[in-house]
Amino acid sequence: MKLAWGLLVGASVLPASVEFNRDIRPILSDKCFVCHGPDAAARKVPFRLDGEAAAKADLGGRFAIVPGDPARSQLILRITADKPALRMPPVYTGAGLEPREIDLLRRWVAEGARWEAHWSFLPPKQAPLPEVKQRDWPRNAVDYFVLARLEHEGLKPSAEAPRAALIRRASLDVTGLPPTPEEVDAFLRDTAPGSYERLLDRLFASPRYGERMAARWLDAARYADTNGYQTDAERSMWRWRDWVIDAFNRNMPFDRFAIEQIAGDLLPHATLEQKIATGFNRNHRGNSEGGIVPEEYLAEYAMDRVETASTVFLGLTLGCARCHNHKYDPFTQKEYYQLFAYFNNIPELGRYLKYGNTPPYIQAPTAGQQARIRRLEEELAAAEGRFAAMRPAVEEQQRMWERNLPSAVDWAPGHKLSVHLPLDRTARFDGRRIVEAGDQGGFGFYSKFTVAAWIRADGANGAIVTRAEDKPDGEGWGLYLEDGKLQVNLVKRRLDDAIRVETRERVEPGRWRFVSMSYDGSRVATGVRIWIDGRPCELDVLVDAINQDFRVREPLRIGGGGGPGPRFRGFIGDVRIYSRVLSEEEIGVLALARPLGEIAALPAARRSAAEAAKLRTAFLESFAPEEARSAWRAVRDAREARDRYVETVPTVMVMEELPEPRDTFVLIRGAYDRPGEKVARGVPKALPPLPPGAPDNRLGLARWLAGKDNPLTARVAVNRFWQMFFGAGLVKTVEDFGSQGEAPSHPELLDWLAAEFMRTGWDIKGIQKTILLSAAYRQSSVVTAEMAARDPENRLLARGPRLRLPAEILRDQALLASGLLVEKLGGPSVRPYQPAGLWSELGGSDYVPDKGEGLYRRSLYTFWKRTAPPPFMAAFDSALRESCTVRESRTNTPLQALTLMNDVTFVEAARALAARAIRESEAGAARRLERAFRLVLGRRPAAGELDRLGRALAFYRDHFHSRRADAEKLISLGETPRPTEIEATELAAYTAVASLILNLDETLNKE
Amino acid sequence: MTELALTRRHFFSRTSTGIGIAALASLLKESGHAAGAGGLPGLPHFPPTARRVIYLFQFGGPSQIDLFDPKPGLRKLQGADLPAEIRMGQRLTTMTAGQSGFPVAASLFRFAQHGRSGAWVSELLPFTAKVADHLCLIRSLHTEQINHDPGITFLQTGFQLAGRPSIGAWLSYGLGSENADLPAFVVMTSRGSALGDQPLADRLWGSGFLPSKYQGVKFRPGADPVLFLSNPPGLDDAARRRFLAELKDFNLAKLEETGDPEIAARIAQYEMAYRMQTSVPELTDLSQEPESTFELYGPDARKPGTFAANCLLARRLAERGVRFIQLFHRGWDQHQKLPENIRMQCLATDQPSAALIQDLKQRGLLDDTLVVWGGEFGRTVYCQGTLTETDYGRDHHPRCFTIWMAGGGVKPGIAYGSTDDFSYNITENPVHVHDLHATLLHCLGIDHTKLTYKFQGRHFRLTDVHGRVVRDILA
Repeated sequence: MKLAWGLLVGASVLPASVEFNRDIRPILSDKCFVCHGPDAAARKVPFRLDGEAAAKADLGGRFAIVPGDPARSQLILRITADKPALRMPPVYTGAGLEPREIDLLRRWVAEGARWEAHWSFLPPKQAPLPEVKQRDWPRNAVDYFVLARLEHEGLKPSAEAPRAALIRRASLDVTGLPPTPEEVDAFLRDTAPGSYERLLDRLFASPRYGERMAARWLDAARYADTNGYQTDAERSMWRWRDWVIDAFNRNMPFDRFAIEQIAGDLLPHATLEQKIATGFNRNHRGNSEGGIVPEEYLAEYAMDRVETASTVFLGLTLGCARCHNHKYDPFTQKEYYQLFAYFNNIPELGRYLKYGNTPPYIQAPTAGQQARIRRLEEELAAAEGRFAAMRPAVEEQQRMWERNLPSAVDWAPGHKLSVHLPLDRTARFDGRRIVEAGDQGGFGFYSKFTVAAWIRADGANGAIVTRAEDKPDGEGWGLYLEDGKLQVNLVKRRLDDAIRVETRERVEPGRWRFVSMSYDGSRVATGVRIWIDGRPCELDVLVDAINQDFRVREPLRIGGGGGPGPRFRGFIGDVRIYSRVLSEEEIGVLALARPLGEIAALPAARRSAAEAAKLRTAFLESFAPEEARSAWRAVRDAREARDRYVETVPTVMVMEELPEPRDTFVLIRGAYDRPGEKVARGVPKALPPLPPGAPDNRLGLARWLAGKDNPLTARVAVNRFWQMFFGAGLVKTVEDFGSQGEAPSHPELLDWLAAEFMRTGWDIKGIQKTILLSAAYRQSSVVTAEMAARDPENRLLARGPRLRLPAEILRDQALLASGLLVEKLGGPSVRPYQPAGLWSELGGSDYVPDKGEGLYRRSLYTFWKRTAPPPFMAAFDSALRESCTVRESRTNTPLQALTLMNDVTFVEAARALAARAIRESEAGAARRLERAFRLVLGRRPAAGELDRLGRALAFYRDHFHSRRADAEKLISLGETPRPTEIEATELAAYTAVASLILNLDETLNKE
Repeated sequence: MTELALTRRHFFSRTSTGIGIAALASLLKESGHAAGAGGLPGLPHFPPTARRVIYLFQFGGPSQIDLFDPKPGLRKLQGADLPAEIRMGQRLTTMTAGQSGFPVAASLFRFAQHGRSGAWVSELLPFTAKVADHLCLIRSLHTEQINHDPGITFLQTGFQLAGRPSIGAWLSYGLGSENADLPAFVVMTSRGSALGDQPLADRLWGSGFLPSKYQGVKFRPGADPVLFLSNPPGLDDAARRRFLAELKDFNLAKLEETGDPEIAARIAQYEMAYRMQTSVPELTDLSQEPESTFELYGPDARKPGTFAANCLLARRLAERGVRFIQLFHRGWDQHQKLPENIRMQCLATDQPSAALIQDLKQRGLLDDTLVVWGGEFGRTVYCQGTLTETDYGRDHHPRCFTIWMAGGGVKPGIAYGSTDDFSYNITENPVHVHDLHATLLHCLGIDHTKLTYKFQGRHFRLTDVHGRVVRDILA
């Protein structure tokens, strides 16, 4: 059986035999494809090297490649030509070939120039396990592939890591938290077969697992708590984040995990949770800067979705095809926009709302909140039931009342009526007269309100009711008559920071008409409604971009506001302003000119629906006996209680489809304002087609992405799992499985894992457990000088992983060891310690840390502001959440040292760790130091280590003994009160040593 | 012997574990973590004319028409609509695209020629005018971006969307550091005095897809100039030194046990952290500066966090070999009430900017320090909002704007490029943002096409696939 050896480790190594995908394609791709590759537009010559037929074609008697004959192959002749003018690649490209590369190409041609399709586009197959010599080493399939490669390289695997190291490694990898000393002891005691597997089972079953996995997924999905770009104000996507944690904890199969996030909204009978999942596609940044062109950002958002989905699921750099055909991989620019067409069909705004979520979003109550809503619904139903029971009697009472009603009596809804100005209907507004009504109706952009008035206009223009600056284009809200149409303006800046809508219908002059408008506080134009004579009007949206509050310090004005221009001419009467949105029926009631008494005098059959409603609501609100009125009020109160509560539940931005698909065009050079050819949705031709029967929408795409025929998705997913545990993927370029990406180090292992993943129903925990059960993972991470030189990155896996912990684990570990960690799954993001001024120095308001438990939650829940990421996370190479990030990165800087030594988070943790060690162990420095050490590292310290800690403690005892004030200061840091039962200098000395333990290289690494 | 040196000897002498100084040093070298090292082999590509850069970023879009690009002819056209053949359908921001007219607003400020070079500078900048003979004015810079966030992102990273390395990150990746005790890339921010104070973002000095160690380190006013620089209250220097000695012993033992060379790097980083604890406070302590310094930079230089104080610190950083020093001053976004607000902006920035030039000059540092002053775009000739005799506003304008450079290999006392009578279109010698980047790298001895980093299968560079060195302005 022939085994493909992956990536060569060590640049100088020449392979025994040349392999196209491993050795040749990377050279052709990196050095030749820019001109002789898939991007036809950029090719200076028609000759192509990215496909076998073209590369070996007859070029008029000459051939680029003559298999077996380098001397007649133009490819070889040109790359070795002496004349600079003939030599390829041309000097000006800056892409010279190294002698080693020339040698490989020549050997490849000499050996027959065997061509292979690009490996990652072929379906993964489970090859038979390779033969190995050291047969007692493999523990599962993974190990056969690893060992075969090691043996091929003449290497041996390392011994198994000590058990205390193994439990710490696995605990950190699976749960993101270290084991307790008790867990370590239990594991050491459990010598029965299968103890390690039992450990893994326990770890995978822990709810901490979901938090650990979610942390990386949040990086990939560019999750954040703010909108990014300029103002970078808060948004609310944590319900999506909690969906991810929950999905991992329930071990949702990866295909479903993908489908629900890409297109959960389009699943039949989509549940709330499935809709929440689609927040994945809305985690991109949203620009609310004044003056932007919305179309530009609509394009950016859809592109972000395409690029995120293609990186996360396909491992492809499709973003390259945004402006031109891909230079290296077989994807055209047109295909990019065909994918784009799946993601641009959403009713969204190009200019995002500055504060909060931008439509489309849904209310996403948590399970607890859903229960509360159900209770409130039941209370409402109960109130309605009580009222319904009284109804026959009440109706009888109403009939009695109607009979005795004087005809002049009138009535209008009074609930939350905040302003009522009857006005003299005979006093003419003559273009100078304005009625100023003081500080009333001071609504802002989150307010709900309704304005109603009777008007008789002389002309086509004029301000009816306003609370706005009295100058042209000023700020504030107002109901105007503009060219005969009713116009509602909610304005911060008239041209670009406002909601402005107008009716299509015109109000004819010279007649009394009843006009009204309402706004529901949603900050979008669809939240404004206008009625004429109680009928809802069709509206045209002039501006739909409000981003700041439009509240002004101006009086409420009738007949004016907005400058001398639009003074009202005519008559205005009976202005009513409510601090709520009136129902359609209530508007109908208000619009009735006929007084209550006159309606009552009509026979019931001759009353209009509105008239009947007026009688009924008037009676129930104002005239019925107390018992009936209170039953009716109870219904209203219960409804309002429910509505009020529902408004407090979190929302989450989600995907929705427009009923009519938006037209999509190739954007020339990726520019939103240069549309080219119109395109239809579709998937790239280099990959398998959509599954039969798949709908032609995002759901179809999602099923294709997560389908078993897709050669990439499973490989890309298991490769990232591998990266999580070993530090680098089997394909190190986890974001690029194309021809510019690195070839896999163990291609058959990658394929075996991918196929196994699909075979087991995309069982995430299952495939991860397989990896962790392997002998390869369980190796000791000690590195010999020889191996450090031969394979510094450990790509051959002759040892276990030793890697600096990710940012969030470093902090969580310190919190857990010190006992400060508050474990609670999910919920709104929290604000742990952060030095003052970091936000306000950039502009805007400053960060306010939480008090209490928010300081001690797992780092995954830390509020993420994109323009000012948490400094701790940023110092330790965390992804920055601006765009999709899948590659893990580790640097080593002095700022990290400063953070771990001096950040209050770690100083407080050191003090709490010290106090805990003192409290939890018997007297005696050695016991306490050992306890502190074990709380962090699990294992027992060696005698020498304990001695060293003891010497340090002795130094610090001495040091603080003469510096009591210093000791007091050091142990008073942080929000948790310092323990009073421990003497201050003693606690300070232990605190210094605890801080030392928290800074040990071993602490900062998994090993 | 200084305490610091003592400490260092102490670090290296307590090697109870048997790894000698030489072995550790060579481990550090191999892992590329030796202090003061870094940088790519083969760089610089050719002898540089500048060893370091001080970039005074003026965020918000300073109005070139009111500062550096005089258009006296506009007085006669005051209030007239901008001719369509000048505007040529240019895309506008939605803040003014819907305006009913585009009335020309001539600058309220007088311009005069200064120095032997006869450079035209507005009366708003009397101090800058005095150093005019050192300046290389570029009046023909242009960009495609019309909004702040993409605009400044483009200037800083060569691309309008977040995610690419900033100029300073590229430089510290390419050239490394010249000072073992300080970062190679330092950033300071100050707020504007005026309306229109646009917010900044940390990513503007970020490392994008480069490793995060190349990101800019922000220096902040106050007790902790660098985040977490100070020991916690109650832990004094003696306690810290002992801490580091113990930590080093532990880590050396670990290094011996596991053989992981990253541990050697970690030891070195803790050492540098300690050195920063001394070198940074020494750097930011202005108490030893003579009175004449504060006369030069102006009284604000005594107030930490002001642009003036930051300019003075920039000189001190330059003296210590910090590679890329970038100041961000906010507040140049004058959509309305421009005359009043730009005056305030200039009061806060004019004197210190000029002082920095003079100060570098008198210390012999100007020759190999490149100073750059400028924003992310310019402002429109037409008025935004209501035009009166004494008041106007201006919208963003990408098609031409002015920046200046000085020192480090650029021609002093020249004005490069010109614009039409409306300062709306470039008529001569356009300089694109990519060209500015290419030129800046060139001054530092870098061929902009060769400083690349492979990410997502592409060899990325600061200038993307564009950029040309503006040789005309090189000395």
